[in-house]
Amino acid sequence: MALGSTSDRSLDLFLQALSLALTPMAIGAIGLGALVGLIFGSTPGLTFTVALALALPMTFSMDPVPAMGLLLGTYIGGMTGGSVSAILLGIPGTPSAAATVLDGHPMTKQGEASIALGTAVIVSVFGGIFSLAVMVVSVDLVSKLAIGFGPAEIFALVLFGMSTICGLCGDSLLKGLIAGVLGLMVMTIGIDTIEGVPRMTFGSVNMLQGVNLLVALIGVFAIPFVIEALSEDKNAHSQNTRVIRVKVELPKIRLLIRNAWLMVRCSILGTGIGAIPGAGGPIASFLAYDHAKRFSKKPERFGKGNIEGVIAPETANNAVTGGTLIPLLSLGIPGDPATAIVLAGLMIHGITPGPALFMNYASEVYGIYVAVVLAYIWVLGLQLVGIRIFVHVLKIPREMLALTVLVLCAVGAFSIRNSAFDIYAMGVIGVLAYFLIALRVPITPIILGMVLGPTLENEFRTAMMLSNGNIDVFYTSPTVLIFFTLALLVIGLQLKSELTRKTKHQDN
Amino acid sequence: MTFQTIFKNSLIAAISSIVIAFGGAVQAEYPEKPVDMTVLFGGTANTIAQLLSELMSDELGQPIVPVSRTGGGGAVGYSHVVGTAPDGYNIVWNSNSISTTHHTGRVEFDYTAFTPIARVSTEIPALAVNASTGWTNLDDFASGVSAMDGKLKVGISGKGSFTHLTSAALFDAMGLADKVAYISYGKGKAPVELLAGRIDAAIQWPGQFASYVESGDLNVLAVTGSERVGVLSEVPTAQEQGVDVDISMWRGLAAPAGTPIAAVEKLQAAAQAAVASDAFQEASKNIGFSPAFLNATDFGTLIESDDAFYGALLQRLGLAK
Repeated sequence: MALGSTSDRSLDLFLQALSLALTPMAIGAIGLGALVGLIFGSTPGLTFTVALALALPMTFSMDPVPAMGLLLGTYIGGMTGGSVSAILLGIPGTPSAAATVLDGHPMTKQGEASIALGTAVIVSVFGGIFSLAVMVVSVDLVSKLAIGFGPAEIFALVLFGMSTICGLCGDSLLKGLIAGVLGLMVMTIGIDTIEGVPRMTFGSVNMLQGVNLLVALIGVFAIPFVIEALSEDKNAHSQNTRVIRVKVELPKIRLLIRNAWLMVRCSILGTGIGAIPGAGGPIASFLAYDHAKRFSKKPERFGKGNIEGVIAPETANNAVTGGTLIPLLSLGIPGDPATAIVLAGLMIHGITPGPALFMNYASEVYGIYVAVVLAYIWVLGLQLVGIRIFVHVLKIPREMLALTVLVLCAVGAFSIRNSAFDIYAMGVIGVLAYFLIALRVPITPIILGMVLGPTLENEFRTAMMLSNGNIDVFYTSPTVLIFFTLALLVIGLQLKSELTRKTKHQDN
Repeated sequence: MTFQTIFKNSLIAAISSIVIAFGGAVQAEYPEKPVDMTVLFGGTANTIAQLLSELMSDELGQPIVPVSRTGGGGAVGYSHVVGTAPDGYNIVWNSNSISTTHHTGRVEFDYTAFTPIARVSTEIPALAVNASTGWTNLDDFASGVSAMDGKLKVGISGKGSFTHLTSAALFDAMGLADKVAYISYGKGKAPVELLAGRIDAAIQWPGQFASYVESGDLNVLAVTGSERVGVLSEVPTAQEQGVDVDISMWRGLAAPAGTPIAAVEKLQAAAQAAVASDAFQEASKNIGFSPAFLNATDFGTLIESDDAFYGALLQRLGLAK
């Protein structure tokens, strides 16, 4: 009987939600958000966090559901758009798209840009809707599990995420580890929030703000691209244009069906990691990439333009969007700066996240669910048209493209915190990254170190404070042990394959 | 001297004489261009700033543009504004952070580098515990903590953060300073950590606790200001329960010292009208802050007395430089 009445109530709520979310105003707001998010996400240098900050004041005078639709549309459009410049230019639009560069960009060089882009958007939509469905069904359960993730557990998860550096090292494990440590070191600059003291700032007020992750991301990927393009030999240049053929061809259904199981696995992974407060998109996409490579029949094809290397991170990072809604709505914890702005949008409309949200604002919450689905429909439609336009970027002469990217990146770096310091920071980091690439040091581990470093350090220290300096916490919790074991497994397997490769090398 | 430099110099001379001649008129017409408002923090500070600037723009007839310059606990934004011309076109959405950034040695200058314009809002911290403790007021809390073997784990946003200072002042006043261990978290996680039982108590903003109080998971024992808070109106203040503390986070507007009085007065009037508006009052309920307009003079007195208080508190906590 109880069951019957609950489902009646849900149906009722669902119908109410539809009437809230299917107004022309709401559909238009979601579409506008998706478009703006896609543009900001796909333009190198511009980030969708900035787009969200610009959209926030516009929502003040709107009704709650269109307002949330605008913000969620921007968020989802941005998350999906981040893969565009990652694939076309090798410059990820968001930290979550950094893993997509590894195989997406080589696909472009092989003339398969449109297939990579098409696949990316389709699997993104799949991951996003999958995670939303999981969220709707299990928000109570998952948020209870998520509460169990204390500092020690999150530390262990992040450490597991760090272990994927092993799989991203290219030809030298040592160089990969150096890169990872460089990333970790960069992020110690600025005010340490735990003790409230400045570190590595050399007495400069500007250094107090530290290195912004997005600024560093732009620097590491975009500046080497610009330097390379501008210093290219003219003769080599003509050869390059020949290699990059521009054709518009969408992925075949067969390709997607063949990878359906991979998509499901990566969706589960993304949703789970999104649900853990404070973990976030980049861990999910790197873990998904690593896992796809490890379980692939031909792991040696990864990094050379394997479509699975696009499917895995793109499914996972959009599956995070549904996952993050769980701590956002049920606990009021934003996973990253972008969701923090979505949270502000909720608050100003009086929708206070927390356990009471589902009692007081059930129809709005269901309206948000519908808005997310609509946002994905918009993104799919816009992007399938957009691909036809985007691929023509490749026809632009490299040096002109490079200059455009440079200007956009300077504007983008400035706009994140309205700080001229960030433009210089981007330049310095970019030039250093260029030299590291010249020394054949892989740069993806730098990004991983920068993304995960602050969480890794802060969670470790908070865990130690909680246990009063007792190291017990790291082996008494089963969750912690599971993640530690997984991390060891990844490291062990990597060492083993490294050794076999070396022996083979000697045999030859 | 080339023709160009002569031409340029005479042009500059001509323009400056015009400016001097019409100086009075120009000042009377303030504002004649958009006003840049530096916002020091994200989250609630940013949300209120966005709304306030929209409402004030309507009053002033020129847009007030909120520009986020975050980092260093406010140090980056304050340093920017101190370096701008005191002409009324650069203002800062400030808070108690002017005292903490100065006393912790992050910036050389202190509150006297700014001219106060108006206080706009206050946010009053609240002390919460897990409902399973059974504590419902400060007396229960004090006796419970005194009877504990170890130390009480109190979640804060970070050493020297506002929640840390409030906690320290409250537990000092209750005589519990030695029974407390502070655990630093990132922002916003305290309610969850309380729920999971990893910490015993936390001082955060009432809005963060409201939903958990309604669901019966957390008990809020007191608010630390001199008045009760709208969203948790049944929770008494610490003073009502016999503990002498009065701490609240204020936010307001300030401009670089030396900004013309006329500009300050216009901005003050616009802020007053914005705070009184229905839109602002409505938003305050949703976001969980109190509209609290105070004119420039009274605001100045408040900043001065607060600065002495936080200076002494930071000194005692060993965080002052």
